[in-house]
Amino acid sequence: MVRLITHNLLACHVKGCTTNNFPLQFQDVQIELQEAEFNPDFVRNLLPRLEWGALVDAAKQVGDTSLPPEQPEMTDDDVLQKLHHVLLEIHITEGAMVCSNCKHIYPISNGIPNMLLSEHEIG
Amino acid sequence: MSSKDVIRAAVLDDPQSHEDVHVHAIYDKIATHFSSTRYKPWPIVAQFLSGLPTGWIGLDSGTGNGKYLPLPYDRPGSVLTIGLDRSRNLLHIARTAGQNPSPTREVVWGDVLGNGWRSGAFDYAISIATIHHLASYERRQIAVERLLECVSPSHGRILIYVWAIEQDQLSKRNVPLDHEALSESTEPIVGQDVFVPWAMTPQNVKAKITSNSKLQAGSSDSSDGPETCPPPVYNRYYHMFAKGELTMLVRDAAKALKIEVGVPEEYTEPGTRGITVTQDGWERSNYYVELRCWEI
Repeated sequence: MVRLITHNLLACHVKGCTTNNFPLQFQDVQIELQEAEFNPDFVRNLLPRLEWGALVDAAKQVGDTSLPPEQPEMTDDDVLQKLHHVLLEIHITEGAMVCSNCKHIYPISNGIPNMLLSEHEIG
Repeated sequence: MSSKDVIRAAVLDDPQSHEDVHVHAIYDKIATHFSSTRYKPWPIVAQFLSGLPTGWIGLDSGTGNGKYLPLPYDRPGSVLTIGLDRSRNLLHIARTAGQNPSPTREVVWGDVLGNGWRSGAFDYAISIATIHHLASYERRQIAVERLLECVSPSHGRILIYVWAIEQDQLSKRNVPLDHEALSESTEPIVGQDVFVPWAMTPQNVKAKITSNSKLQAGSSDSSDGPETCPPPVYNRYYHMFAKGELTMLVRDAAKALKIEVGVPEEYTEPGTRGITVTQDGWERSNYYVELRCWEI
């Protein structure tokens, strides 16, 4: 599945595409909400490794504006709950992710993103 | 010859096409049957995943049916492992890996030689029984480089498992060893390219044929039934690793990325990146190596 936690890790890897290749932009996406068990420690501990701006942007692209533009210093339960929802409960089932730099399209179908490249695109 | 025997092979075509025919196409065909035989986590892999701090995110490069994605069983949901595989049919199975009802797993369709992650994004990476499917030393080295690149340079942990020439006595496989080559010398360390047959069980074949004949209504002929049809055998390509070969591969990959192999105490220059080999062993017909990244 593509959830926003995964999207926050993916980058374009077409040969020569090394700048502005993260984050990928969502295009024509269909989403599905699935409740997931809330583990506050998990969310709190992974926080330092997120690219906050990319996450806020991606959330907006799938219709969620609950996150503040700047990473909050205080991680109370309310913030962790919101993060939990954004990172783990929104599933992108169909659509695509597009590289802002080289415009390569990574399709998403049946919840599975296709990160394969054709031979001439491999770096 | 029994279908459990391993056949010697040579990579004659280019490695990419060789893998397409002798690895990727086969896993897509045997996905369901293969998955039904692969459900038990190997203890060292389970132990590795149990030892990870809560909140860590990892990559399972070559996840297959995703059997490691639900781990650790004693702390479910404490870490998140994302599964990457070349076989879309296996990924469909991996998506719901685990005991029912199972939360949806994160899976990505991709190649282990690809680099579709922001650098150092993961806290850990595992590659279990995957790198031995790559058909040249260079490609196997790139696969290890990709693992080193995708984990945090300061605290990343990596576990790699590959198939060994040295087989367990209890192993079901019968390997034709080139004893002369093995005993001659330890340098250079060279593994062996083989085909490992995957025989579909008659039951599995029957199910497939029945469903096919339903599609072609009226074409079924009882005399040509599934019972008379021998189950198909698919020869999967493997590179069986020789003793020391996996360690050498890791050292070469580290060298290519200017990563030192050793303990941080041995280095003084700030900005030095390194890995410590914390485990290096053989278990149940496989070689494995565990690495920890450090930065000073």
